[in-house]
Amino acid sequence: MPTRFSFLASRLSQTVLVLWVVATLLFLIFRLMPGNPLVAYIDPNFTAEVQQALLRQFGLDQPLHVQYAVFLSNLVRGEFGRSFFSREPVSQVMWQVLPNTLVLTLSALLLAYAVGVVGGALLAARRGTWAEAWGIPAVLATRAAPEFWVGMLALALFSFTLNWFPSSGATSPGSAYSTWWAQVASWDFLRHLTLPALTLALYLQGLPTLLMRSTMLEVMDEDFITFCRMRGLPERTILLRHAARNALLPVVTAFALGIGYSIGGNVIIETVFSWPGLGRTLVRAVAAKDYPVAQAAFFLIAVVMIVMNFVADLLYSLLDPRVSHERQ
Amino acid sequence: MSGSERAAALPQWTRAAATWRDALLVTWAVARRDRFALAGLIIYAVLLAVALAAPALAPYNPLDLNYRPDGDVAANEAPSLSHWLGTTNLGRDVFSQVLFGTRVALVVGFVAAFGVVVLGTLVGLVAGYYSGWVDTILMRLADVAFGIPFLPMAIVLVAFLGPSIWNTVLVMTLLLWRDTGRVIRAQVLSLRTRSYVEAARVLGASHVRTMFVHIAPNVLPLSFLYGSLAVGWAILTEASISFLGFGDPNVISWGFMLQDAYNSQAMARHAFYWFVPPGLCIMLAVMAGFFIGRGYEELLFPRLRRR
Amino acid sequence: MPLLEIENLTVQYHTLHGAVQAVRGVTLSIERGRALGLVGESGCGKTTLARALINVLSRNAAITGGAVRFDGVDLLQLSGEALNDYRWRRIGLVPQAAMDSLDPVYRVGDQLVETMRLRGGLTPAEARERAARLFALVGLEPTRLRLYPHELSGGMKQRVVIAMALALQPKLVIADEPVTALDVIVQHQVLRTMRELQETLSLSLLLITHDISVVADLCDDVAVMYAGRIVETGSVREVFAAPQHPYTMGLRNAFPSLRASSARLVPIEGYPPDLASPPNGCAFAPRCPFAVQRCWGDDPVLMPTGGGRLAACHRAMEADVLRIQAPQAFARLEATGSQAVEGGAPGGGIP
Repeated sequence: MPTRFSFLASRLSQTVLVLWVVATLLFLIFRLMPGNPLVAYIDPNFTAEVQQALLRQFGLDQPLHVQYAVFLSNLVRGEFGRSFFSREPVSQVMWQVLPNTLVLTLSALLLAYAVGVVGGALLAARRGTWAEAWGIPAVLATRAAPEFWVGMLALALFSFTLNWFPSSGATSPGSAYSTWWAQVASWDFLRHLTLPALTLALYLQGLPTLLMRSTMLEVMDEDFITFCRMRGLPERTILLRHAARNALLPVVTAFALGIGYSIGGNVIIETVFSWPGLGRTLVRAVAAKDYPVAQAAFFLIAVVMIVMNFVADLLYSLLDPRVSHERQ
Repeated sequence: MSGSERAAALPQWTRAAATWRDALLVTWAVARRDRFALAGLIIYAVLLAVALAAPALAPYNPLDLNYRPDGDVAANEAPSLSHWLGTTNLGRDVFSQVLFGTRVALVVGFVAAFGVVVLGTLVGLVAGYYSGWVDTILMRLADVAFGIPFLPMAIVLVAFLGPSIWNTVLVMTLLLWRDTGRVIRAQVLSLRTRSYVEAARVLGASHVRTMFVHIAPNVLPLSFLYGSLAVGWAILTEASISFLGFGDPNVISWGFMLQDAYNSQAMARHAFYWFVPPGLCIMLAVMAGFFIGRGYEELLFPRLRRR
Repeated sequence: MPLLEIENLTVQYHTLHGAVQAVRGVTLSIERGRALGLVGESGCGKTTLARALINVLSRNAAITGGAVRFDGVDLLQLSGEALNDYRWRRIGLVPQAAMDSLDPVYRVGDQLVETMRLRGGLTPAEARERAARLFALVGLEPTRLRLYPHELSGGMKQRVVIAMALALQPKLVIADEPVTALDVIVQHQVLRTMRELQETLSLSLLLITHDISVVADLCDDVAVMYAGRIVETGSVREVFAAPQHPYTMGLRNAFPSLRASSARLVPIEGYPPDLASPPNGCAFAPRCPFAVQRCWGDDPVLMPTGGGRLAACHRAMEADVLRIQAPQAFARLEATGSQAVEGGAPGGGIP
């Protein structure tokens, strides 16, 4: 279908453009940091030669435009250099933390959207009742409560008072697993995952709930729903098969966007629960001025987000049989 | 996406050229008809009063260390008559900190929201009014702003610019104008072709005059809607940045208090009196913004309203 | 006994400006196997009336009185469940917005099958087979069952909705402006199809339209509606040959196909009254060239005028004379914008 193709092609080129701008911004910010990026790293007691050697090692003796070219080509190859502190290759650090972040985000999102879709549909069906009158402010409250505070309450209650769940990390100290998958499937990992995932889900469900409700209400006013009524279809069929199915389109799109946004927001939840993920890595690297790691973590978060924006468009055009026509 | 669709759908009362005064009157209309919006306004009024009177109301200087009669530091004390919400691990009075935190929250919330709305409205007005390449460039900028992960960018920028509440405000303004900008632009696009706007142009009104006198008042309620939501986001973001340790270390904010509590293991000591109140305050302040925003939304887009 | 008898039906809308009576005591019946055309200007309550018959009104509307008897059973007294049984199985409806009446995310065939399975108790195989036959019946190739609504043209969607209305073999089909959104050529095809179906399936048809030429072409009987009331009924032939209500006379003057092509078309001056505050007298009086003192204070009721016809006009007995004056009278009214006939209205009255 040429219209859909050209629509996606234009979105794809836009995606690439945004990625490039973000990468450039990133380069500028980190190069413009006071002094040079090695200030924190270089011990003033080092001799000038050692300092020069270090600068050369990190490519910082080159003119800015050369550094920029090197930076871009490194990005494309997924090469982020070595951590200033641990000396590990940054890509290796990223591979360790990225899966944890994805597991946390996806499990929280799935839970949030399952709850949100059902809750939003119910709120719409019960419009004008006390369930709506109190339901909406309650949902707004979950959106207004700072995630880290909810996390602190959860920790205080469920881990420090009731002792149901561990308070930090992804695994208990000393545990070892043959593969990453074995670790994820383990009971211990699940127990560690529960609190952060629930806290995140509580925050994330607000958007799908409100979105589902408002699109449901819009759909319920459409002529085809009235036509279903005229045909005497059962109320449940109208609500679920017709109204909810149509209202789901924007919610599914929001899900893809949600992956992107919540990965950006994960810095908080991961910090509160000391979850070894991308967000916490970013926070610690920025605080410690470990620029290569901070840069890579930031860039990965941005990539996930921008790609998910694109995926959202893709999903939307696949799910709605009308979209390729209407967008043009 | 749905924002711009809604903007295109349009409130009835923008049919005629509204004036700036009308736009302000809408706020009162919102408060009158929606009890949640009214609750939001009341919350802000109370917070404002507390912020102004904080030095008079607070029993202690929030940064002072307090001592017991025996001369020891009054650290980690449970609530008592002398310390209503107990003390921190350094012996500071929690209640006084909560009162002073109101100031930071309101200043950051309102200044940042003001910045966001002014920038977003300007971008939207200019992009929608001039269209063409100006529009293309500004909207690509908005795309980029949407592509930047907000909180990580805020952290990096604040770390780079130095921790102060003004930098926090600046960063929020630079990153959050995008939503307002897009929605206002969509609105302006539809307003631009209205007859009274065209009439103004034919009668020789300058571009600037047309934009600010004939178009701006009509998009203002929409700006207010996004503004009231932005107040909430700004307060929440400031708290998050402070919690992560990138806030202004010399200013007592609710986020700072929570970071303090978190770092000193207040949860493990069950010191609910310490970390529950600031979180509740943040929640209330943010909710107040959401409530007012919702009031606007229902007034502007009556389809959403209960019938 | 007529198939459907509507008696003194009233429907109210609750709006920001107070209650609006959209249907004000309508009495009307539809005979078995006949097509009744309901005509009137837009906004006169036709659609509200149609939707009130099976009680599918918008949220802010309510039936406030009257009866709707189908085969002698008053539908308005039925519980939700029992009324639902009448919907579609006995009364099908082709709604005004037929173009938007299909769910965009399902194939049209699936929507047809869904209706037959859930309401008609057919097995999937039976339903699919009947769907194909229905499509053939309304002039669509059965291969189109697999398409989504947006892949069909307006005329095709209209036919799908008609097929849908016939799916459960109802005795009565209500078609609300079934062709308004279509272009002229397609309009004729669809209307022709409907008339043929009505005759071959011996349905009763209630056809709602603002276009009296459509009624003249397709219907056996006609009811003319104005401001929430029926003002004249009778057989199409008689009513259009010799209208007894000035409004029907005016309508006849306003449409091309019913008059010699040389005659000038004369629109009816003015607008229908605001039903939030209906007038005391005859609702048509402010636009009527024949209005007399009595018309302004006394609301005429629908009365038999002989030969099975009904009209709601104080001067119905003078209809033969008025009819001759009508073309000039409406033309004069249009030209001057004021009523000056036979000492008519006390000044004012025209909004």
